[in-house]
Amino acid sequence: MSPGALATTSDTLTWLAVVSYVVAATLFGLEFAYRTRWFGVAGLTVTVAGLAANVGAAVTRGLAVHRVPWGNMYEFSIIVGIITVTGFLVWLTRRPEIRPLGMFVLLPAVLAMALGGLVFRVPAGPLVPALNSRWIVIHVAAAITGSSVLCLAAVFSILYLVKERLERRQRPPAPPLVAGAARTADRVEVDQAVARHGSVWSRLPSADTLDHLAYRTTAFGFPIWTFAIIAGAIWAQAAWGRYWGWDPKETWSFISWTVFAAYLHARATAGWRGRRAAWLSIVGLATLLFNFYAVNTVIVGLHSYGGQ
Amino acid sequence: MAVELRPPTARPDRKGGGRPGLADTLRQAWREYRSMRTALVLLVVLAAASILGSLFPQDGLSPQRVDQYFADHPALAPVLERLGLFDVFGSAWYMAIYLALLGALVACLVPRTRALVRVLRSRPPRGGDLSRYRTRASFTTPAAPGEAMAAAHRVLRRSRYRLAGHEGGELAGEKGFLREAASMLFHVSLLVLLVGLAYGKGYGYRGQAAIVEGETWANARVGYDSFSPGRFFGAGNLAPFQLRLDDFSNSFYPNNTPREFASHVTALDLDGRRLQAQRVAPNRPMTVDGVRIFQSDYGYVPVVRVTDAKGRELLAPQEVLTLRDPATEWSTGAVKVTNATPQVGLELTMFTGLVTAPDCPGGAPFCNDPRLIRPVLVVLAYQGDLQADRAQSVFTLDRSRLRPLGDRPVLLVPGQSRKLANGMTVSFTDLKQYSVLTLARDPGVPVVAVAAGLLLLGLIPSLYVTRRRVWVRAAPDGAGGTRVELAGLALQGKPAFEAELARLAEQVQRGTLNAVMDRAAAEETRP
Repeated sequence: MSPGALATTSDTLTWLAVVSYVVAATLFGLEFAYRTRWFGVAGLTVTVAGLAANVGAAVTRGLAVHRVPWGNMYEFSIIVGIITVTGFLVWLTRRPEIRPLGMFVLLPAVLAMALGGLVFRVPAGPLVPALNSRWIVIHVAAAITGSSVLCLAAVFSILYLVKERLERRQRPPAPPLVAGAARTADRVEVDQAVARHGSVWSRLPSADTLDHLAYRTTAFGFPIWTFAIIAGAIWAQAAWGRYWGWDPKETWSFISWTVFAAYLHARATAGWRGRRAAWLSIVGLATLLFNFYAVNTVIVGLHSYGGQ
Repeated sequence: MAVELRPPTARPDRKGGGRPGLADTLRQAWREYRSMRTALVLLVVLAAASILGSLFPQDGLSPQRVDQYFADHPALAPVLERLGLFDVFGSAWYMAIYLALLGALVACLVPRTRALVRVLRSRPPRGGDLSRYRTRASFTTPAAPGEAMAAAHRVLRRSRYRLAGHEGGELAGEKGFLREAASMLFHVSLLVLLVGLAYGKGYGYRGQAAIVEGETWANARVGYDSFSPGRFFGAGNLAPFQLRLDDFSNSFYPNNTPREFASHVTALDLDGRRLQAQRVAPNRPMTVDGVRIFQSDYGYVPVVRVTDAKGRELLAPQEVLTLRDPATEWSTGAVKVTNATPQVGLELTMFTGLVTAPDCPGGAPFCNDPRLIRPVLVVLAYQGDLQADRAQSVFTLDRSRLRPLGDRPVLLVPGQSRKLANGMTVSFTDLKQYSVLTLARDPGVPVVAVAAGLLLLGLIPSLYVTRRRVWVRAAPDGAGGTRVELAGLALQGKPAFEAELARLAEQVQRGTLNAVMDRAAAEETRP
């Protein structure tokens, strides 16, 4: 195929992957809401098909441009989809019971890819000279993997906060209904609503499990992120003659690193375990998103290749 | 991270319920300072402080944008500068935060090291009442208690437990010290990395030099267009060498985005002897005498000659350094003819490939092809007072006391000469390129590199190795067999530990059965 045809194929496959993920997320959502196994199995099948399309999109893009397919924000977004979904599938093989969480993992992946496709899409093209180095393979691959995995961890932290809140509310047994006690119809209705509302969310795995998932995922992503920063520093040393220069991108990756380091410490500190740690993980997610979206587009720096 | 490894903290001794003394308060403050909570808070504060450094333009990164900020916010900017917000990462308060963090790190590492050494020297302790542990396993086996203990010994050894036999038939095992050791390696590496960084910053330097094709440039302070030495760098420490730019080349993709630019550089010693030669391009630096040389930027150097109406030379062929706009690839510069009366200034715009309407996108009257296919020099002439005695940019004219000379620009291609409105002749005699090279020396790099490697090496086990303690006891069950009890304590990775202990128990059980069968086999074969 010609580079043009390959690039078109890549774009088509990207959208095919996005659509598959949306369908799969819906199926997982149905499994989550109705506890019907069939939905989950169908969701899993569609996810795998979507992943195949996603990988195909990256490969054809790479073939079209004769380089690694992670040279700009659009391509980065495609790879984010691959890593996040693969990460989730790997978790699934070890803990099949988290399958209904698929919805919460796929939706962010879809958002990232759709945003990449709608806002940052650029035609297939070569790289500017500054990016022409074999370090792009290592540094950017590690950055995508690390940030996707850490985002996944933050998703688990968000779910943990939801479930933990629910468990905390349910823990003290409701005061027994005393005969003759004045309970207005309104309050009964509210209580029933809370119970109903809780009944869907209570299907989340236990707060402990979610906390553990978040921690293990962070523990996996953090060394990769550390490596990405080190690889970036080596590249910066080779390209710009300084391994660290507080360029906005460098600064924000350091901020993310610090916040996730704080999370890891918080998990081992009395009074910080649990909710506060989870909030740190969410702050970490915010810094990663800011680094990718805002720093590439709004803040001027050496890493402003994004839109090209 | 393993809280249990800390030395037992003695509570301050309050005598008679009186108020704690100053020493107690200090001791308490010291304990608080080296606690994980302090480290945590300082990490968060450091992250928040770093955000400021990315929100405000930084002096070290883009001084022009700081100047712009001063122009845009004349009232606010001086206040912000006072607060160090234009040099966050060099400011006293930022340094205070990370020094506090480093101090807390050292304060935490010292007792941790002592505790680790102590634990490594001591034997795994007794388990006490095994029934109080949450993770337990037990089974009965026909083997004798001694055989069961031997099997447990083998299984735990194979699983890399440090073992100690205690009185009363108890085996205690402990593993996972690599976690704490690796965590300490990580933290020490972080310290070393920062020391290396500070050392390199203090004793290194960084500078930029523009060299025109064919010229030789000497590595001396005056040769640099910008130079930022470290605090302890003596300018006399510049390595004695010269650089000659033999050739510069650049190319573009068909869609006019830059493909590559490279300088062919020869390094010479001060006597002009050739040391080495290399093609320096982005991501392809050259190293001369410990100095790394990088390709940064490039530009065009039209050579311009000016003669008066009688043909007398007012300006000998001069290489005019121009500023290149990377977006359009056209360059601007200025020529100042000070010995003409009145003085004459020329504003130059150099196109690499001048294209005129209708071949330009968006209906523009003219545009530029970035490839050097049709260089054109557009000259706008002015006359009057150049005010050359005042400090001013070499790239622009101060037009406050100049008036236009002639009503239209003069266009020149290389080799061409044209008359200006006052009879003077401008010649575009030659076109060269210049290359901007960044020269940097950072003696801290090896230290930082090794520290970063060790940091990564320590990080993974510090997250993945899990500390465990296991106790095994075997006692006759009163029916001719043996009851074996296992109990364990996991400091990390608790959810997986239940299965892990069950697996250990299973292996021990299999071991005891094998022992029984071996014994039976041995008895059978005995004559």
